Amino acid sequence: MLIEILQQTINGLAIGGVYVLIALGLTTVFGILGIAHFAHGSISMFGGYLTYFLATSQGLPVLAAIPVALLAGFLLGVLVEILAYRPVRNANHINAFIVALGLTMMVEGINLQLFGHEQVVIPTGLTRVFRLGGITVPELRLYVIVAAIVLVVAMMIFVERTKTGQAIRAVAENRDAAILMGVNVRTIPLIVFGMSTALGVAAGIMVGALFAIAPGIGEGLVVKGFAVLILGGLGSFPGAILGGTVLGITESIAAGFISSAYKDVIAFVVMILVLLIRPQGLLGRAP
Amino acid sequence: MNRILALLPWLLALALLAALPQVLTVKYYLHLSILALIWVIVAQGQNLIQGFTGYVSIVQAGFMGIGAYGSTLMGLNFQWPLWATMLVAPLITALFALATGYPSLRVKGHYFAIVTLAFNLIIVIVLVNYSELTKGEAGISNIPKPWGGNREAFYYLALVLAASLTLLAALIARSRVGEILLAIRQNEDLVAALGIAAWKYKLFAFVISAMYAGLGGALYAHFQGFINPEIFGVAQSLDAILAVILGGSGTIAGPAIGAFLVVFLPEILRFADSFRLILYGLILVLATIFMPIGIVGIVKAAFARITRREARHGG
Repeated sequence: MLIEILQQTINGLAIGGVYVLIALGLTTVFGILGIAHFAHGSISMFGGYLTYFLATSQGLPVLAAIPVALLAGFLLGVLVEILAYRPVRNANHINAFIVALGLTMMVEGINLQLFGHEQVVIPTGLTRVFRLGGITVPELRLYVIVAAIVLVVAMMIFVERTKTGQAIRAVAENRDAAILMGVNVRTIPLIVFGMSTALGVAAGIMVGALFAIAPGIGEGLVVKGFAVLILGGLGSFPGAILGGTVLGITESIAAGFISSAYKDVIAFVVMILVLLIRPQGLLGRAP
Repeated sequence: MNRILALLPWLLALALLAALPQVLTVKYYLHLSILALIWVIVAQGQNLIQGFTGYVSIVQAGFMGIGAYGSTLMGLNFQWPLWATMLVAPLITALFALATGYPSLRVKGHYFAIVTLAFNLIIVIVLVNYSELTKGEAGISNIPKPWGGNREAFYYLALVLAASLTLLAALIARSRVGEILLAIRQNEDLVAALGIAAWKYKLFAFVISAMYAGLGGALYAHFQGFINPEIFGVAQSLDAILAVILGGSGTIAGPAIGAFLVVFLPEILRFADSFRLILYGLILVLATIFMPIGIVGIVKAAFARITRREARHGG
């Protein structure tokens, strides 16, 4: 029983890492721009497909394909900000949401055009399995957990320690004051979107390597990402990390012990319960 | 005089719609028109909560599913007559809406949108997995149709229902309740400060909007004769939101126009073949950027400009 729980917790950590990466992107975009970036999941899926395409039909080694896909993600994020979200910057927030829906359809459509509708698995060649006193940890899963931690830490250091990061936090805190302090509020959203999208692409690659990617999985990913934000508190970094980990582990344990068909239902019920007890999320500031 | 003038476009539209089956020669267009009328009902419901109250709910298609499955399963398992099940379907949906609305309406804005979206996902997951009852992903076929599947008769049924529910929405919007809903959209704290229990009104709007969806879903089931969980997914809930936004949020004509758009636009874009999805998305993005007030808003603004100019010339 205990071993089984430990096993599911480790499984949950890997998927939790994916959720954290998705949620970090969403929460940064939300914190800076107040946009519920619904297209985030589809772009993550696109990144996964791009990596698969580079690694298979282009013959690139996976380790070389990944940085290319991350860079493509960064540029795509910048483009999305300039072309789609900037024009609705001062309009009602629902408008940005509708733009996001339109973007989602476009990304899904473009993805179908470029990569077809086959379900694919990114070939990593990592098939070893570690055994540790009754617990089995596939090598790949371990690397995914490590990669997620590295990316999260890098993002934290960037936001907390660098000058650009400071500017990002300043804009999130008080946009007008940031402008008065000489922060360039035109470039900050570009950096935020670029980095968030690159993180999303990283999550897409992880899903593609761990499980599989197929058209339409973006919706599930982005909804889980938002669920994490609600769990942790909108706009909160530590909240996203805690929320993602909790969601991943809850889901994994629910799948192992209750029912794998209903694991998403259980995850959402947890989210709704948290919302009822703490509407601002686990680590969110009280309104 | 002014009131009669304001009614004129409505009567004209109704007359046109009533004559439509006599004019349409292509059967498929009649089929699409019926779907559009069903969507008018769904979108009018969505507008009550999204347009008037300002809470963007993403569970409208899920509620359609509850209405559709509710009506179908009651007919199948209890052998109730079709009319009875279609009448009861919105009531069942109302019960679900009460249960889900109470917790979700405690939060606002994006939180509310995401929680309702989660409810839609839960509904679909249950419909897929509770297959002893719902037959899972394969869906239920051979659902009884009224009048032996006569399309023209069904068209008039849908038209009468869409028209009367649009009228009901207009009456609600003009009542004291409607005023309070608008006030909640503009400043909920102020409403609460006036000693009005805002949550009751929000719940009312949410439940009524769900009942519209439930009836729409039941109509859909008995029109198509086939339902499966996929039809009631988040994508369709987004269509309901789009219908409201494209037509004109918080207006009465808007959702009606928007409903026809979301049904016919993908068909018109059929020429684009595999690029259809990209084009549909692009149109949405461009429409939101360049005409955020919806079609009704644009027409109203243009009309106001013309009358103002005339007034100036007259004076």
